[in-house]
Amino acid sequence: MLAGIDYFIVIAYIIGMLLLGLYFKKYVNSSEDYFLGGKSLPFWAIGMSIVVSDIGALDFVGVSGQAYRYGVSVGNFDWVGSVPAMLLAAFIFIPYFWRGGMYTIPEYLGRRYNQKVRTIASVTWILFFALDLGVLFWASAVLLNVLMGWPIWISIISTAGVVGLYTYFGGITAVIMTDVVQFIIMFIGGFALVFLSLYEVGGWDNMVEKISTMGPEYRNHFDIIQPQDTKSPFPWTGILFGLTFVMANAYMIGNQSIVQRCLTAKNEWHAKASMIFGSALKMFIPILVLFPGLMAVVVHPGLLDGDQALPMMIKSILPPGLVGLMFAAFFAGLMSSVDSLLNSTATLFTKDIYEPFIKKGADDKHYLKVGQITTLVLLVVGVATSPISSDFPGIYVAIQTFMSYFQGPIFAILLLGIFWRRTTEWGGLSALVIGIGFAVYLNVFKEQFFTIEDPFLYISWWSFLLSFIINITVSLLTKKHTEEQLEGLVFSSKILVKNKNL
Amino acid sequence: MFNFDWLSGVSQETAKMIFLSLYGLIGVLVLLLPTEYVYEGIAKEDRHWYNNLKLWSICVLAILASIYYHF
Repeated sequence: MLAGIDYFIVIAYIIGMLLLGLYFKKYVNSSEDYFLGGKSLPFWAIGMSIVVSDIGALDFVGVSGQAYRYGVSVGNFDWVGSVPAMLLAAFIFIPYFWRGGMYTIPEYLGRRYNQKVRTIASVTWILFFALDLGVLFWASAVLLNVLMGWPIWISIISTAGVVGLYTYFGGITAVIMTDVVQFIIMFIGGFALVFLSLYEVGGWDNMVEKISTMGPEYRNHFDIIQPQDTKSPFPWTGILFGLTFVMANAYMIGNQSIVQRCLTAKNEWHAKASMIFGSALKMFIPILVLFPGLMAVVVHPGLLDGDQALPMMIKSILPPGLVGLMFAAFFAGLMSSVDSLLNSTATLFTKDIYEPFIKKGADDKHYLKVGQITTLVLLVVGVATSPISSDFPGIYVAIQTFMSYFQGPIFAILLLGIFWRRTTEWGGLSALVIGIGFAVYLNVFKEQFFTIEDPFLYISWWSFLLSFIINITVSLLTKKHTEEQLEGLVFSSKILVKNKNL
Repeated sequence: MFNFDWLSGVSQETAKMIFLSLYGLIGVLVLLLPTEYVYEGIAKEDRHWYNNLKLWSICVLAILASIYYHF
């Protein structure tokens, strides 16, 4: 439980976020303001928002737990798993999406392939995001229940009320600007824990020496590259093929909640710079989430559940006041994930489902209202479905794992769509459907195909590769698109020189 | 095949060199981008070395490569 000063910090944080978010209500007058912040935001705010949305409280606990079990190789997910992909996104994909005035990734897929591809991609994201919302509401409630002693339903409604209010009124501008404050709180809380933990274990060298002498299972704890035959989920082959080549790119280029932020930039330079600035900040994330897990090996050796590493470190290392700040940092991670899901799902529904299928050609205020109502409906759905997490404790991991299987095929059609003019609508559609089916098949029969625990990196690579091959094969057998259909949708070296209209 | 057994002979040191080479390759590709393109969106008179996105990218890649070299 928290001390008095901790309560004060947490309550002040929650009220502060609500007021800050509501302040941005005055900037929302159109659907472009609501979904794209009126294309007026600076790179530094977007970069911070990308980073804080990507890392949630559940990841804090989960990654620290994995660092406790497997060592520094977990850092690959932010280091090699983000930076190269963010540079590719910044210099190639984001300028196309930004110049094209797009709101969603499925919108690009719809223009490049056809409406079916757009709808499949959009509906899949909407379903996953909506399910994720309930899980995150439950996680917030459990945190508030354990640390503040609030009843679960009061906790769920409080979280939904605070995040829902500022997202409903302020749209993506409120989401991004509250993310900036959440980022700062997360970094202050996280670094306080890292520095105090380092002091507790007697410094970095002392910690390395102690862990290295703890037995053969810790022999590779400080090797960022794990051998191909490791039993951990992170062999270097999986990191290179599954993470670096596929999942990282799919996440940074094909994830609506990430890309939508860059589309709010005030000009093309800010859009590119936001990704590169975000990639620089991402390099610090492993320090915040991985190092406490490593230091817990020394301070709390022999934990049966690695996910207990971070809570144990907070309990044993941090003084009153900083516990409250760390809790606010956790809560910041959850709030930033929830507000991103709300706004991105509202954008996907309004732009990819409502506008093309339910009411075409309505005035802009109508779509703004639809976006706001969708946000409200999602809040209700999230609150209503949140108890599922209590009945099925593994649902968060299940949702995240399944989302990772969707990413290989999505990246394959995005990559070929933008770099190969010959790709056709039937190539894209068949690659998406068969690729997702293949990923599900590999997952169901994973014991027969793979030797490592949880082979999601390998599955994403092989489903990407099959989608890539299917797309090429079917495209070559079907009628190619005309030059008019491809205008502004396929990479051309002219974009690097001067033609802003591509 | 699904487990990349055909790469089992590659040592961890060689694998690390593959990652470092990858960063080097990305760095070269970034340097090849036209300077005009990385400044797109900024007025000509406001273009300075500190808002050259090539420089930002190379710094990020250099830090990342040094982390990999260290571990």
